[in-house]
This record gives sequence, C-alpha cells and structure tokens, in this order.
Amino acid sequence: MKHSIKIRINGQWYLGDVETGMTLLQFIRDEAGLTGTKAGCENGECGACTVLMDGKPVRSCIILAVEADGSEILTVEGLREGDKLHPLQQSFIETGAAQCGFCTPGMLIAGKALLDKNSNPSKEEIMEALGGHLCRCTGYKSISKSVEIAIDKIK
Amino acid sequence: MTLKHVGKSYTRNDGVEKTTGSAKYVADMKFPGMLHAKVLRSPYAHAIIKSIDTTEALKLPGVFVVLTGKDVPGPFGVAVADQYPLAKYKVRYAGEPVAAVVAVNERVAKEALKHIKVEYEPLPFVIHPKDAVADGAPILHEDLMNYNVAPYVYPQGKNIYQHFKVRKGDIEEGFEKADLVVEGETWYPYIHHVQLEPHCAVAQYNLDGTMTMYSTTQAPFVVQNCINMLHDIPLSKIQVIVPYIGGGFGGKSDVTIEPLVSCLAKAVPGRFVRLLLTREEMFIGTNLGRGAYCKYKIGLSKEGKILAMQGESYLGSGGNVDYAVNIVTGMGLAGTGPYEVPNLKLDVYGVYTNTPPIGALRGYGHPEVHFPVERLLEKAARKLGMDPVEFRLKNLLAEGKVNGIGQVVKHDTGNVVLCAEKVAKELYKSPKPNKGDNILVGRGMAAYMKTPCMPTNVQSSVFLKLNADGSVTLATGAIEMGQGTYTVLAQMTAEALDIPYEKVNVTNTVDTLISPYEWQTVASHTTWGTGNAIILAAENLKAKLKESAAKVFNTDAENIKIEGDKVVYNDKVLTWGDLALGYKNPDGSALTEPIMGEGHFVAKGVQNPDPETGQGNAAADWTQGCIGIELGIDKTTGEVHLYRLINYIDAGTIVNPQMARDQVLGAITMVISSALTETLVFSEDTGKIRNNNLVDYKIVGIEDMPEEILIDFVQTPEESGPYGAKGIGEHGTVGTAPAILNAIYDATGIDFYELPVTAEKIMMALEGGE
Repeated sequence: MKHSIKIRINGQWYLGDVETGMTLLQFIRDEAGLTGTKAGCENGECGACTVLMDGKPVRSCIILAVEADGSEILTVEGLREGDKLHPLQQSFIETGAAQCGFCTPGMLIAGKALLDKNSNPSKEEIMEALGGHLCRCTGYKSISKSVEIAIDKIK
Repeated sequence: MTLKHVGKSYTRNDGVEKTTGSAKYVADMKFPGMLHAKVLRSPYAHAIIKSIDTTEALKLPGVFVVLTGKDVPGPFGVAVADQYPLAKYKVRYAGEPVAAVVAVNERVAKEALKHIKVEYEPLPFVIHPKDAVADGAPILHEDLMNYNVAPYVYPQGKNIYQHFKVRKGDIEEGFEKADLVVEGETWYPYIHHVQLEPHCAVAQYNLDGTMTMYSTTQAPFVVQNCINMLHDIPLSKIQVIVPYIGGGFGGKSDVTIEPLVSCLAKAVPGRFVRLLLTREEMFIGTNLGRGAYCKYKIGLSKEGKILAMQGESYLGSGGNVDYAVNIVTGMGLAGTGPYEVPNLKLDVYGVYTNTPPIGALRGYGHPEVHFPVERLLEKAARKLGMDPVEFRLKNLLAEGKVNGIGQVVKHDTGNVVLCAEKVAKELYKSPKPNKGDNILVGRGMAAYMKTPCMPTNVQSSVFLKLNADGSVTLATGAIEMGQGTYTVLAQMTAEALDIPYEKVNVTNTVDTLISPYEWQTVASHTTWGTGNAIILAAENLKAKLKESAAKVFNTDAENIKIEGDKVVYNDKVLTWGDLALGYKNPDGSALTEPIMGEGHFVAKGVQNPDPETGQGNAAADWTQGCIGIELGIDKTTGEVHLYRLINYIDAGTIVNPQMARDQVLGAITMVISSALTETLVFSEDTGKIRNNNLVDYKIVGIEDMPEEILIDFVQTPEESGPYGAKGIGEHGTVGTAPAILNAIYDATGIDFYELPVTAEKIMMALEGGE
C-alpha cells in the first residue's frame, strides 16, 4: 500500500508516494536524492544515518518514512548556511576528523544536536552525545576535539 | 635540503567534500535501468551441493536471471586457483555464494531467493587451523595438489596450501647453549574489518565486449585483471571506476564481490547490475582477518640475550585462500619481531578452514607473530629477573645487526631502539597512579616492525598535467579510503615542483582505462611508491618545461632556469602557463607541445625469499616503533580502562604530522578492541558466524579510548623513500595487543595468550578459574 507523504528536508518540502516499509533513510537518499546521509548497517547500530527530526537526533534507518510525514529533517547537506560552513564542519576539517567520511555525517549531526541544546558541553557530555556512533578510522579523539573547537567558534 | 611542504600538517584536501555530504561513494550512484542483485548464501560451513532448482524463482515477475555455479567461469586465483564466483559442487564456508538473482529491484531479488531450492549434504567442518591440520580433519580441497598455483606457493596436501620456511644459524646449538627456554601458544582469533561502508559494486557489460564496473575496491587494477582472467575481455576494455571508499583496512583489497558482479552483468548485457551487501553479509560474505595460531619457543642466555627461536604458526585462511598466501609470507618475514635472533627456525603454514576467506587486514601477518614474540619475551625477562625495558634494548635490531631474513640493519632502516627508549622513559616517568583499592594498575610495552609484503616489482605510475593557468593536476591510480593519501600526494607534488600547495589538485576518482597504473592501495606503500613516482614525474615535467622554453628562446635546455612558476633565460621570462598547452609563434603557428609530466616507479632489488631458508632481500623497507600502555583493571568487574597510550614510530620522514598521528592512532584503536572484545563466534552446529551485527560484535567506541595519548615520531629518513618517507598506515596494529596483555600481566600477574581478553575472562582468572 502506498502513502502520500511530505517531509521537509533542509528547508525544502519533498513529496512522495511511498510503501509502508520505506525507511526515512531510504526516503532521504532515494526520494530526495540527498546521499550525504549514509547507510552503514540499516539496523540502528552504527549511527552513520543520524539526522535531526524536529530538532532531535534520530537514526533514520529505523524510522519509517510514513512516521516522519510532516516532520522537519536536517541532514548533513543542510548544515552549512549558504557558502559558509557550519563551525562543526570547519572544525572537522581543521582536525582531520573526517577520514573515510562515512561516519562523518552522523557525527556532525550528533554534534549539532548537542550544541543546539547545550552551548557549552563538558568533555563527558560530548562523549555521551557521540556514544554509539561508530568510527573505524580515527580513534575518535579528533572528532571529540572538533566538537570542543566548534564550541569556541560558535561563541 | 629545506622542505617547504613535506613535514607540514596541511588540512585534508577532501575535507569539504566529506563534511558537506557531497563526497560520492559507490552506493550513492544510480544508473539508468539499473538492476539489483541478491545472493543466496550457504547456511552450512561445509557441504556438498546435491542439487539446485531455480525454476520457481525464475517465474517471479521482475526476475531477470538466476545464476548458479554451473553458469560461472573458474576456478580463478592469482596465487592459488581455488575459487569460483558461485560455489560449484561444494560449499566451504557458511555464507559462500551459491546462487544469485538479478531483478528489477532489491525487494523482488530478495523474494526470489526464497524460491531457490538447494539440497545440501552437510559435511564435518573445521574452524580452528590447529584442528584443520589434525589427523582425520575434514579435507576442504581434495584436489589441492593438482591446482594451479603461483611459483612461490608450495601446497603440502591435506589442508595445508602453503609452507613458508625461515632458517638461520643452527637452531639446535642455539637451544643447547640456552640457560632459559620459554614456550607458549597464542591465538589471534578471526575478526572483521568493520568498514563503515558496506561493499558495493555496479557493473555493465556491453555486447561490444566492454565491461564497466564501479566498485568499493582498494584494488581496481587487480579487479580489472581478475575480470580479464574470468571473461577473457581485453584489459583495455575493462573499466573499473572507484570514487571515495568508506574504509578499507585491507578488506576491500584484492577482489571480493567483483568477480560475482562481473558474471551477473555479463548475464544481462547492456544493463547495470548492482550488488550492495548488508551488514550481515559483510561479516559472512567478505574477507575476514587474522585467525593465527602460533607455537613459539625462545632460548636465552642468563645475561638476557636471545640465542634461539623456533616458531610454528598456522594461519586459518578460510574456504579459499588466494588472499592469505602473502599473509603467510608476512608472518615469516617478521616472525622474530624487531629482535636479533642468531639461530632461527620458523615454519608458517597456510591452512584451509571452513570460514569465510581470510584476507588482508591492517597489519598483514605482523600483529599475528608479534603477539607470541612479545608475550614470551616479557615472560623471559621476568624469569631472568631483568627489567623488561633493559632486556628489550639488549636484543632489539639496532644498526648493524642482522634480522631474521638476513638483512643487515642500516641506519635508514630506522631506529627501533630510540623508539623503545622514548616510550619507556615516558611510560615509567612516575610511579604507578593510585586509582583506589578496587583498581589494579599495570604497564606494558611492545616493540614492533613491519614491511609492506609486496610483489618484488611493485609499480606506481603518475601523470602531472600542467594546466594553462599554471595549476597542476595529479592523476594517480591510488585510492582514498580515509588515510589521506590525496593530501600527502599533493604535498609531495608541491614539494617536487616547488609550487604552492594550493596549485595542486588530485584526481579523486580512479578509472582503470585512463588512470596511470597502480598495483593496489595496500601495504602502506602509497606514500612510498606513488611518492617516488611523483618525484620522477616532476623531474620529467620540469625537463619538458626547459625543453619548450629552450625552443622559444632559441637556446639549449641547460641554459634555462626554473624559478618558482617562472621559466627564465637571462632576462627573459615565461610562466609555466605560457608553455602548458604549447607555445605559439607570433604568426599563430605552434612552436612547442602540450606538457604533461610522467613518473613511473618500480621497486628494484627486492627478491623472492629463498624457498628453503626464507633468506634474501625480500623486504623493501621496515617501519619500526614501540608502544606502551598504562591501564587499570577493576577487580570487581574485570573491566579494563586504558589510562595512557604512548607510541613512538620511525616511519622515516613524516609528510603530514597531524594525519600521520591519526593514522597511528586509528590503527592502534582497531587493535584495542581486538585485544579486549572482538572475536567472531562460529555456531557449533553449522559453522555460521553468529555475531554478524554491530551489537554482538563490539568494536571500540568513544568511551573505550585511552584518557591520555602521546603519539610521536623518530624520523630517520628512508633512503628508498620520497623525501625519506615510508609507510605508516598499518603499523599501529602490530604491537598493540601484546602491549595491552603485558600491562594486564603487570596489573594482575595473569598471563593471557588468547585474544580477546574480555572482562569475563579476567574475572574468571582473578577468581582462580583459569
């Protein structure tokens, strides 16, 4: 059975007639064509597909597109303002926190979710926010450091 | 020589793409009329395929073709021709592809799998290499002795497909003189790379005999070669295209899903066919790593000198072993660790097992053998009542000493002694911290060395295209999979041409039809091999600039000087851009040709090791280092907390310190979890991997990282390397597990010889259960 839904992604409405089983991740990648959000496990285990849904970080691979009907989504493509990179994007580049780049979109969104609700998080709070996001390249230190640097950039 | 760009921590040139979501990976690409494939995999680790019936699956609307073993070519393999794209007659691991469906979409393809009927006759199976060589073990390849193998492969029959020997000195005499002999057995379990990006390949075959394939491979030219062998398509018509890949770690090297995808594409000419693996399929249907069982014996004098070493190692290699043969070699070449051993006997056996194939995994045979060496040396130091640091320093491969394969350590081989001294100084700079009554604090270290284990004549070519605005495009066949290759190569290009770093751009897609040849992006050899090619290409480009300018100024090339982006003859000046596309005479006629620099590097002087003794110049270079760990163990839970990590590495000249540090840390991080949590669990009934997801197979999370990290360099320039550089990507994996286990011993007094050392195992041992 198909459902007519609309989801606002990065400020733009996307309409779709979707099967019940389609995930939000599939909608973002296949319907909206925004492939920055990555599918690492499609089981909610790695965090690569994290997006903001109405301001909250969610794993888009375990949410159905129909559940997201009418919601506001932010993906990695929506982080920058015009040509200006978000402070997190800048700090990730400065520290080399994006190596293969596959976990990066999810990490950036998790960082953004944290900084949106807490402009001055402690090291522990950063670790908590990034917990459950898997990265096989970096050893995480450059990623948590990027979030710390972004705090100062935002101030 | 003052270096302007090499040695600077430039930010990554792929940073914007990778942080804005615009970097493209294979699974992001769609093609017109693209079909989708799904694979039916064996539920048994070892079974005869009695029959396969695809009739019902083919009837399903939307199904294009269903292939089984009878439809595909083979056997294929570079070292041992022992595999097919789809199993024929027999399956040898749970997860082996048995049939594959191409359908209009993934859903239909998946549905069709349910309608394929396969009748199996299960056979006894074997997972551990020790069991695979025991009398009466089930035989995986009955016809092994008749297989086509490369000249350096020596099948022994039964399940042993390779025997690598190292012989030096007189082993019996060495042990006779020994005052102390320590012995032990280690097991480095089967683990998975867990790249965040699942394997994906999309291919199209055309009736004009061309094949195009996009793939998540570290080895496009190896894939090209494999497709050539399988389908007899000329190499010139096989286009393998690789954009960014989301992590490789060796698990996307050689070939993985590509042979099968090429067969599927061939079955539906003109259509693109995509195979994207699920996370579960990555565990059961791609290459694994490690699986090494080692039995070592070391004889020492009472003064603490190593007199003799005997090692017998078995690499569990899976149901087909093409990608494991050279890991066996690595376990031999590095089998002593970075220590001088005058009398040596190593036997490394490659063994068939009913597991997915074991292939390259960051470290490539070196972590496997450093594990027994570093654990047993720790034990020996203790028994001799010697300080483990002093003991190591006495035996390390200092300049002038001879390594296990007969190479004399030269100055530029690197300074492992200095690395060890620096680690020890830092690790033991203050007394152990007091973390409370429940925490046992321990410290341990391990020294390491690694060589690339490459073909003797490994090749790297590059083109440097000079553009009309004076900018330069570097074309390379090297893959970017996270390691920062394109940044490092751009730095070396800027250095070699003496132009601003910003003027260099690197192609970020490899295409086997047009990219210059590159063996494959493995073995931590790109900085070294491709860097050497860049220097040659820069010389070539500058020579062409001089030749062109000489024509313009009507003089000889040797009178022309290159100063920055200018070409100068006395007081006459041209820019590089003036010459890039050829100089025009005032009447409009062309005077000179467009300019592109070419650089072609091949390793010279590297030999195959002697088949009887393993001796020879078989290692192009060695990167060496030392790691120290300080940790605490909670007596009430057995949990390990890492406090401090100290690592000094001599990888020659460091091209980009920040990125090099992150490479070392990334490699060490992978092994933190293989030391403490990671192991694949095989079902006792079927031999299938049970923990095939990221919850049950636990890799390091941010909360598991050491609190303090010091990673630094000793930089002894490598003679054979560009600007003195050599490999650094894998080396952090090599000594980490034994360093952690040595620290666990220091904390608890318990010796572990099997990985992973989980909290449960530590608790059991603390309670006296082990």
